[in-house]
Amino acid sequence: MVKFLSQEWIEIGKNYMLEKLDPVKDLKSITTSLLGIVEHIPPNDSTMNFYLELENGKLKDFIVNTGDTFEEKEATYEVRGNYGTYKSVLQGEMSLGIAVLKNRLKVKGSKMQALKLIKPLDGVIVSLKEITDEFED
Amino acid sequence: MTSENVLVTEKLDFKDAVAMAKKGTHCGMCRFDFLGSGVCPAGRKKGFLAYWPQGRMEIVKQLDSGRVKPTEKLKDIIESCNLCGFCDKQCNFTTQLRPEKVARALKEYVEGLDESEFQQVPEDNILHGLREIVGEEWATNDPVIIASYTMTILPSDTELNYYVVMPEKTEQISKIIKFANKNNIPYMPRSGGTAFSAAAPTVLAKGLSLDKGIVIDLYRLRKLEIDPESCTATVGAGITMFELQKESHKNKLRALAAEAGAHVCSNILTTGIISTWGNRYGAFADNFIDLTTVDDEGNIKQHSDWERNNPYSTEPGFTNLSLTPPSIVTEAVVKLHPVFDDEEAVLVPFTNLRDAYRLLIKLGKRGVGLSLAILSRKYLAEFLSPTLQISKDFDYVCKNYLKLNYVVSAICNKDDKKTIEDMVDYTIDQSLMKSLILGAPRFSSLKDSEFMKILSEEEDPLKAIFAGPMKSHLEKALDPSPENVAKVFDEDLQDFFKKVYSKPEMTDIVWLHAFRILPTRMMRQQMFMGPGGSMWTGDEDHYLKWIQMFSDMGDKLNVEHSLGFISPLDHGKFAYMEYDYYYNHNDPDECEKISKITIDSMEQSLIMGRVLTILNYLFKGIYRKEHVLYPIAKGITKEEQELFRELLDTVLGEGA
Repeated sequence: MVKFLSQEWIEIGKNYMLEKLDPVKDLKSITTSLLGIVEHIPPNDSTMNFYLELENGKLKDFIVNTGDTFEEKEATYEVRGNYGTYKSVLQGEMSLGIAVLKNRLKVKGSKMQALKLIKPLDGVIVSLKEITDEFED
Repeated sequence: MTSENVLVTEKLDFKDAVAMAKKGTHCGMCRFDFLGSGVCPAGRKKGFLAYWPQGRMEIVKQLDSGRVKPTEKLKDIIESCNLCGFCDKQCNFTTQLRPEKVARALKEYVEGLDESEFQQVPEDNILHGLREIVGEEWATNDPVIIASYTMTILPSDTELNYYVVMPEKTEQISKIIKFANKNNIPYMPRSGGTAFSAAAPTVLAKGLSLDKGIVIDLYRLRKLEIDPESCTATVGAGITMFELQKESHKNKLRALAAEAGAHVCSNILTTGIISTWGNRYGAFADNFIDLTTVDDEGNIKQHSDWERNNPYSTEPGFTNLSLTPPSIVTEAVVKLHPVFDDEEAVLVPFTNLRDAYRLLIKLGKRGVGLSLAILSRKYLAEFLSPTLQISKDFDYVCKNYLKLNYVVSAICNKDDKKTIEDMVDYTIDQSLMKSLILGAPRFSSLKDSEFMKILSEEEDPLKAIFAGPMKSHLEKALDPSPENVAKVFDEDLQDFFKKVYSKPEMTDIVWLHAFRILPTRMMRQQMFMGPGGSMWTGDEDHYLKWIQMFSDMGDKLNVEHSLGFISPLDHGKFAYMEYDYYYNHNDPDECEKISKITIDSMEQSLIMGRVLTILNYLFKGIYRKEHVLYPIAKGITKEEQELFRELLDTVLGEGA
């Protein structure tokens, strides 16, 4: 159990997803990449992002960075939201779908395509929920 | 005589007050002066919903359920009410309730409490931060005040750990949003709240409500300026349609108006103003010249800013659902339209829907009429009848004797009136409509009359009554007068209602169409849900099959239902249809049925295609209608239907 957006969070998250998620059953063999931008992080109101890439349902990359861009790779989807919203999703208070429909998480690109991703991404979210238990106040 | 669903005693005990409060439907008609009889002075002064009649009724419910305990603020709330009775007059006109009696019972209940029963509410840094932005008086975390917002933005099952803030200026809203973001607190704007009140008892509550955080109550943004030269009005987010229409009419101008209590800015934002005037005056972005918005980063923007990205377009398709507005509209410069001296109402009665539909679309495509719609028998009965029982009997007489099931209702100038009269055999004229309003009690009492039985045996009862000599007999038999209609109200209000019904506008069909003070009467039956949407009109059978689908769902689940209205859009190429289901919002079984109908009817509509459902309408009002209605939607595929179901499961929970 680790702190959201820490390096340890990335490492444990990677291992957890590789171990627990079946590329076909859980991740529907999807190939996609996502840049999650987390804004208004306490205590300094900073911004960070995490880049997650799946290829045929297998986790290929999971990286955390500072700022709101990841220059090494371009993600298929960009999901932007407040720290509090990500926290609510990871604590199970709010689903990813409802966060998108309530504009708490803003998706760059087609909403149709993004919503199609929600089901396959369930496994990722569940994994991150499982491992994350510490947040900034 | 007394109205049937009101406990008409001089005083209500707290239990009776709770029973009446539960009937409240949050129509918000107590928040503006639509009868010219005054408006709640406490609400005007204090602003927060808790100080308005509808808020006090909600507090009574919440105290009774134990969800909220008395606080020190509750004393101020009851002391602010001077029991002037303005609310009783307004509420009795629309929903037949007596909020003043509820307020009186609340006062007595609170005065009977021991001092130790009032809780102190601790303040925190968030509250202090909000008060720094709007001033000490206009931000609160008091649970009693917060509880009053239940069912109009807050769900009924959450803890009351919210804040309510009442900004007065756009700049303050910007600061509130920046403050909320910095502290990672969700927020949601609130205007009238009535649309949410219809969704709150259903499966939609979770998706549309604020789960925690800050309620931004927009009531204090009260700017209202008419510019007769440019035929525009600048309207703040706290202004209702009625208030805008009243000011516009002083300048012989008219706004495209939704229901009287709808707030102009939020109504534009939410649905682009759904109205019977839409074919002529437009819809969505047709409504405004400019908007001032605050986005979710707190940036203030003008729609007219030529350097910004196109603010008028939106993604098409059924997955483009939004459960919150893309931004807060704090001010709108809306278009106004000329009022002509020769405007009149023409109503064409019909027995079957297909005939009415054909006339409507023909008129819509030819651009005839300013306001143009099919109104159902149920609508007519509800609008024209002063009490629920009278509306039921009115409906019975129309259905069983007159075979009057629909009217095509047009507000038009003389030329258009002639066009319509040339196209049909007979119409209901203004004089008969006036008689039906002032003679509604007598009309409904014809339920058992021989005259009606004889009439019903005619080959075409509509023709016999509206085009033959029987018309004058009927008008005479109705004995229409303000005195007679006033007699059906509670005894202590009869003098007041005699004066109200003596006002020319109360029987002026053009005025009633423009000011729309009557639709709220649909909420006296407790609650209604009106799914529907806009469908392409090119295929008559397809359109009528769509309406039948809603009817079948009502029959299947044994819910009272009726077509509401159909009104053309975009020169008759589309027509908006509302289908209404009436239910008791305090009965969980009935709420479940309405939830099922809401979801199933949307799914079936999407499968049928060529339709933009009401849920797809939500929060699209600031975009161009060309981007919202086009391309004409195709029916969804099996794969898309699965995606739709998954989407619903995500939003509403598994098994929705």
